[in-house]
Amino acid sequence: MESPGRRCIIETRNLSMVYRTGAVEVHALRDVNLEIHEGEFVAVMGPSGCGKSTLLHLLGGLQKPTGGRIFIDRIDLTSLSDAERTAVRRRKVGFIFQRFNLLPTLTARGNIELARRIHGNGHLNAYGMEEIVQMLGIKDRLGFKPSELSGGEQQRVAIARALINQPSILLADEPTGNLDSANSMQVLGILRELNERLGQTIVMITHDAEAASTARRIVHMRDGRILEPPRQLSFEPRMERCP
Amino acid sequence: MENLVTANLRARPTRTGISILAVALGVILMLVIGGITQGTLSDYLDRTVAVGADFILKPSDSSILYAFTSATLPVKLAQKVGEVPGVSVVAPVLSIFRASDFGLVFGIDPETYNRLPGRLRIVAGRESLEGFETIVDELYAKARGLSPGMHVRILDHDFTVSGICRSGAVVRVFVPLSTLQELSGSPDKATVMFIKAGNAAEVPRVFDELHARFPGYSIVRTSDPSLLLADTPMPGLKEFRFTVILVSMLLSFMVILLAMYTTIFERTREIGILKSLGASRAFIVGLVLKESAMICCLGVVVGIGLSLILREAIVSTFPTLQVKLSFEQMVTSCLLGLVGGILGALYPAYKASKMDPVTALSYE
Repeated sequence: MESPGRRCIIETRNLSMVYRTGAVEVHALRDVNLEIHEGEFVAVMGPSGCGKSTLLHLLGGLQKPTGGRIFIDRIDLTSLSDAERTAVRRRKVGFIFQRFNLLPTLTARGNIELARRIHGNGHLNAYGMEEIVQMLGIKDRLGFKPSELSGGEQQRVAIARALINQPSILLADEPTGNLDSANSMQVLGILRELNERLGQTIVMITHDAEAASTARRIVHMRDGRILEPPRQLSFEPRMERCP
Repeated sequence: MENLVTANLRARPTRTGISILAVALGVILMLVIGGITQGTLSDYLDRTVAVGADFILKPSDSSILYAFTSATLPVKLAQKVGEVPGVSVVAPVLSIFRASDFGLVFGIDPETYNRLPGRLRIVAGRESLEGFETIVDELYAKARGLSPGMHVRILDHDFTVSGICRSGAVVRVFVPLSTLQELSGSPDKATVMFIKAGNAAEVPRVFDELHARFPGYSIVRTSDPSLLLADTPMPGLKEFRFTVILVSMLLSFMVILLAMYTTIFERTREIGILKSLGASRAFIVGLVLKESAMICCLGVVVGIGLSLILREAIVSTFPTLQVKLSFEQMVTSCLLGLVGGILGALYPAYKASKMDPVTALSYE
């Protein structure tokens, strides 16, 4: 039975990640404890190399941590095999990248449909496509390849691709890092709107304070650790404890 | 719905084209070399059957093909064979292989040879043969622009064309038996003897009688090519065909292996993107395999098309050469081309599916 408060959708417990290169060990994450609830828009801020991208990759199941546990929608990612983590990512996570990461050989429509196809085990389901492209203002750009689109358009296509499968969590890795200020504002506005209007849970990595201020909560990181307790900016939903 | 496989192939047209051509080359190799082998053999068997003899007598344990290269039968044996009840014609023949144009010359006695149903059908000149005279078939004449009275070099000697016979005779060049015996240093010897029974009903009895009377020789029935082929051991042919098939398959295998291996490294980032979208290993393996299967399919189609064109070119350039492209051969080459390609794509597909998504996403 669901409690009346907002569901904890992401939780990390003593999350650690150590990269080993020969005898050299690099501690990318050290005992990171983080809770993110359904409908939150959290910005993870910090300088380059502080471990924020590693955190995002771990939350998306792209990597397995060397220590600690990660729960995504109450599923313990750390106990899953690579194939099972892939399945969780497919069902629950949408990624947005700094470099857009659209497939260059496909058109914008092809990129969005591919995500749908992967999600639907090869069967295309057009549900939601029209609404999403309309909302992101890329309806008339769908027939173009990424090389024919502006940076802002490419990022909006990437957002559409991430949203097409209606993921529980949207993970954005420096989504404005390659955009000019006008396009950055537009993309951040879209993310904010997605969060406010649709209740989309968003975790955004950024080192830009202005971009981070779009989020409702900012988590600061340094040297692989979370520096201070999460600071609420404007929105204070009633939270439940993660299991 | 856009197809990622075709989009990827279209995005790299040069490599796709070269890969398709390389697979096509394997198919061409398989079809044309196999076709020449099969065509030459079939043509030879068909023309042997067309002689109209009921049996061929040859040294025991020799192949119908290779027996034609040595002369060990005494011509006098023909007289003894002719004494067997029911035998109506015995035509001793001496054959010599001409490496210059990869064909056989038959030394015959026109008088006995032309008593066989498949006698030489002269279309120009005369049918008699004396001394250094030769009768050639239409194809041979056409290929060399010969007409009666002209000279032609055969076995390093000048021969005069006395006549031109219709194509379909057992070989394309005939000279007098005695002349060929002299040139080959095999006086009174023959390579094989064509034997005709008096009537069809007597063939089984004559066959048994010949076996009984000449146990030291091999008697081969020639009523149809399959019987002839069944009685004809062809050492090396199977191995040769296997080698051609193996080389063709290896060609497809290596080309696809190399192409897909390079492709997946070039597309490392794309594989990372697919993984970030939740693509399973099976999806990525399937993608690589579909891409190589498409290259192979196109390669096979191009290969068959080019083989058909090449066959026409070979036959028009070398009219005496036969290239037989059967439906079965085409199906086999399609399957082998595809199998070779798919096998070649397995390792790159496995490598792609095993890529670490984070490393792949950060690949420049």
